[in-house]
Amino acid sequence: MIITSKKTSEEILESVSGADTLYIVSCGSCASKCGTGDQKAVSELKEFLEKNGKTVLGNIELDSACDMRLAKKDLLKNENFLKADAVITLSCGAGSQSIAKVSEKIIIPALNSEYVGSTERIGVYKKFCGICGECILIETQGICPRTRCPKSLVNGPCGGFVNGKCETDQTKDCTWVLIYEKLKKNGKLDKFLNQYIPPKQNKEY
Amino acid sequence: MKFKEKLKTDKFLITAELFPPKGTDVSSFLNRAAGLKSLDAVNVTDNQRASMRAGSLAMSRLLLEAGIEPVMQLAARDKNRIALQSELLSANVLGIENVLIISGDHPNAGEYAGTKTVYDLDTLQLIKTARLLETGADLAGKKLHGAPKFCVGAVVNPSAEPNDLQALMFEKKAAAGAEFFQTQTIFDAQDFKTFFDKVKRLKIKVLPGITLIKSVKFMQFLQKLPGVNIPQKIQARINSASDPLAEGIKICSETIKDLRSFADGVHIMAIGMEEYIPEIIKGSEETGIRN
Repeated sequence: MIITSKKTSEEILESVSGADTLYIVSCGSCASKCGTGDQKAVSELKEFLEKNGKTVLGNIELDSACDMRLAKKDLLKNENFLKADAVITLSCGAGSQSIAKVSEKIIIPALNSEYVGSTERIGVYKKFCGICGECILIETQGICPRTRCPKSLVNGPCGGFVNGKCETDQTKDCTWVLIYEKLKKNGKLDKFLNQYIPPKQNKEY
Repeated sequence: MKFKEKLKTDKFLITAELFPPKGTDVSSFLNRAAGLKSLDAVNVTDNQRASMRAGSLAMSRLLLEAGIEPVMQLAARDKNRIALQSELLSANVLGIENVLIISGDHPNAGEYAGTKTVYDLDTLQLIKTARLLETGADLAGKKLHGAPKFCVGAVVNPSAEPNDLQALMFEKKAAAGAEFFQTQTIFDAQDFKTFFDKVKRLKIKVLPGITLIKSVKFMQFLQKLPGVNIPQKIQARINSASDPLAEGIKICSETIKDLRSFADGVHIMAIGMEEYIPEIIKGSEETGIRN
């Protein structure tokens, strides 16, 4: 899922400074699951805004804020949504932009989109996939060095690891040492030796 | 004889490295370089430790003009494939053939912790790219008007555990086109020999890096750098020395002396204390220090 984090109170207050009436749209998918857009988060935001002199006209949870069809269906006939000076979104950037695309409202994001996370336990997420569009997991024992190596080295490690830990953070395992251990266990070191992954074709635009 | 040709001989090769100035005053750089004319080549670092400095290319050219053969270090960290290839062509246009391909220290612990890293190509890909340019074509498949000629070097860390993984990388980088290796710092010639024995069958010259420890404070700083692991016995020698710099020089001389018995050469990283390099080398030539 898309992991999101809450913006600071100061940031939110500054963003809403020009609006008196607000409407809150939250996302029932990722943001809700990672606790940044669930009912508790909505109530806290509502309370915070009201304490700071704003009028919250209402709130709605979209099943998936990133689905423009749902945003259109659930929002465009909603009187309070249409009446509010601005709309605060508790969703990822894809959700906020979907809402911006189907309406003409001023959209104020209350969350930052961080990464695609795998859930280890509630509140502990791992950035395993960088949604790069060119999956190499078949070559790298199911561990992505493009995402998990801070230098995105796809053909093997740098010389910075110390006792299997990454040069950027001694508490983190070197991704290539993890891959190496699996290569060794699975008898694939020869394959690795002769393997070359060419430069990625970036398709960002 | 050029460095590239010396790599084909049995000569014990000695290189060192200089870092460019942070600013435009090159006088200290040139002063430090002046004592290194007798070396086989001198590396110029590329924004080492992700600090921001004058470029390796410009400073390499200054070395060339001063009669010193440079090795231009090129980090994959800061440039995309357009800029990397362009830098390689520019180097050749200015007469620089030796390039050392590195990934580059990650910025997260440095003065530009928030910068956007590039890493468009990794080191293997960049080594292959340098070799591709020599064929008269670039990564886009376009023909070059005038093909460059390089002596391509790469880096491994002989002290990193698991050590076999570094030996595998040595082999991969050699297969990609690396003609010589300079290594991250070692502190014990015999430890290096354990690594060297794993790769010497490939018959590619390896110059292990050694670092001059000039003070107790500097040793503490070094210990925090990526991939650096100073053995206890070296730490004890520096800590108990009445003159840590003299002890550091002695340690370097002893290490080189040991290396002379089996290694291809040495790469000396004096980190601002380059004026002591001639003394270190002289010490390594004298008999009776050890054995």
